[in-house]
Amino acid sequence: MNLIELDQTSFGYNGKAIVRVERLPLQSGKSLGIFGPNGAGKTTLVRGLTGLLSPLSGRVSRREEIRIAYMPQHASMESHWPMSGFDAAAMTMSAQRPMGWVGSSRREILNMMTRLGVANLADRAFFKLSGGQQQRILLAGAMVIQPHLLVLDEPTSGLDVHSRRMLVDVLLDFTQQGLTSVMISHEIEDLTEVCDEVAWLCPAGQADQPTRVELVAPDEMAKRLFVNRSAT
Amino acid sequence: MNGLIDQLSLFWPALLTAMTLAVAGGIGGVLVVLRRQTLLVLSLPQIVTLGAAIGLRMGWPTLPPAIAVVAAAVLLIAWSSTRKASHLILPALFVAGMCLSILVVAGAGAELIQVQNMFVGIDVAVEPNQAIIAGIVLTGIACAIAILWRRWILLAQAPATAELANLRPTRWDLLFLCLISSILLIGTDVMGTALAVVMLFLPAATVLPWAKRVPTALLLAGIAGLLFVLLGFVLSIGMDWPLSQSIGGTGCAAFLLSHLLAR
Repeated sequence: MNLIELDQTSFGYNGKAIVRVERLPLQSGKSLGIFGPNGAGKTTLVRGLTGLLSPLSGRVSRREEIRIAYMPQHASMESHWPMSGFDAAAMTMSAQRPMGWVGSSRREILNMMTRLGVANLADRAFFKLSGGQQQRILLAGAMVIQPHLLVLDEPTSGLDVHSRRMLVDVLLDFTQQGLTSVMISHEIEDLTEVCDEVAWLCPAGQADQPTRVELVAPDEMAKRLFVNRSAT
Repeated sequence: MNGLIDQLSLFWPALLTAMTLAVAGGIGGVLVVLRRQTLLVLSLPQIVTLGAAIGLRMGWPTLPPAIAVVAAAVLLIAWSSTRKASHLILPALFVAGMCLSILVVAGAGAELIQVQNMFVGIDVAVEPNQAIIAGIVLTGIACAIAILWRRWILLAQAPATAELANLRPTRWDLLFLCLISSILLIGTDVMGTALAVVMLFLPAATVLPWAKRVPTALLLAGIAGLLFVLLGFVLSIGMDWPLSQSIGGTGCAAFLLSHLLAR
């Protein structure tokens, strides 16, 4: 069953199409990777998929009452804010509450942090933790609302090998339990390990043409990229 | 001691307003500093003064034209933020407020002195009724900002998460702008530009190096603001200095000390 489906859809701003998709079904329980060069329209496509951006043309079918969680990139956060690990994990839940209060959900947040092995970091200064610890806290925060769809923005960017492994294992664990996810990534290893399919954004040759999206298997994409690299 | 009590009985309306401004400004200032909007704190009081100057020149009360001019400025700032041009608009508003408020009353002796006094906060005369109303409104604004502390974190750190929950970041930004503008409007109109700027910057900047969480920073900034007012008041009585400048001087000394010790 498709959670979201795009059909002959284009997304963009001020009437100008940035990305065009022929057909993109996002099945429940599957993981979709989004891959492409900087400026190709990865964020635009994700905004379109999640309903934050209306299509300029075509059709978007989305299951009703879909709960979407977004896991931000730790490196893109404003590190001068004084925040504890718990404060960072509570962000997604606070978005669901009228005044942002999460008092009644404190136990749920801590339980999810325990599941991801970061409950001991709840009272520590968030921005003094390692990148891997920060990402696991943010993932715990996103998962606490039990989303139908999880959107991950470069989840392993800037992580060391050990931290990356831990995060990918946690993501695989959630995926095996039926989580649907969309992951923007430049890391081919992440895409091949975690994703079932990849939406590959291929910029058009001309500047005024929208980026074309090709749906490929992760291994096929890796093979093509490897062949291209070997050829050059 | 008797002298201090005599002064208290005379100056309590000004002191009460300064204290509520300290709490509201301290709490609002934490978010202003964290959101890196300190230019806003410098430019809006100049705009309030421009509105007040128009009121003085026309023989009207000062507050209604100040509200109108600030409302127009807030809309301009909100519009410029969406075009990522607020770094240009805010300094322009600062200069416009500073120059136009004097030009509006140029040649009108008494009004010119009143506008100059608004800038520096000398000879502040606060009526008891004015102090009570300003105190209630400022306390309400302080509570609203403090209650929403997790919302401000969310909007700064994960705006996409906010959008996915149907929260509109631009509307929340406008609400924040309105709350801070209200503190500056009341603070400037009642106590003058100097004290309004002091309270929306120095308590927050003093305590932020020591706070590990936003609620702690809000609490500490409110307390720091109150301490600046009390120490400034004692200094002002003891040394026969103007109140706003004594409070500002105390705040500057505390800010420098805090940053020296924090390094």
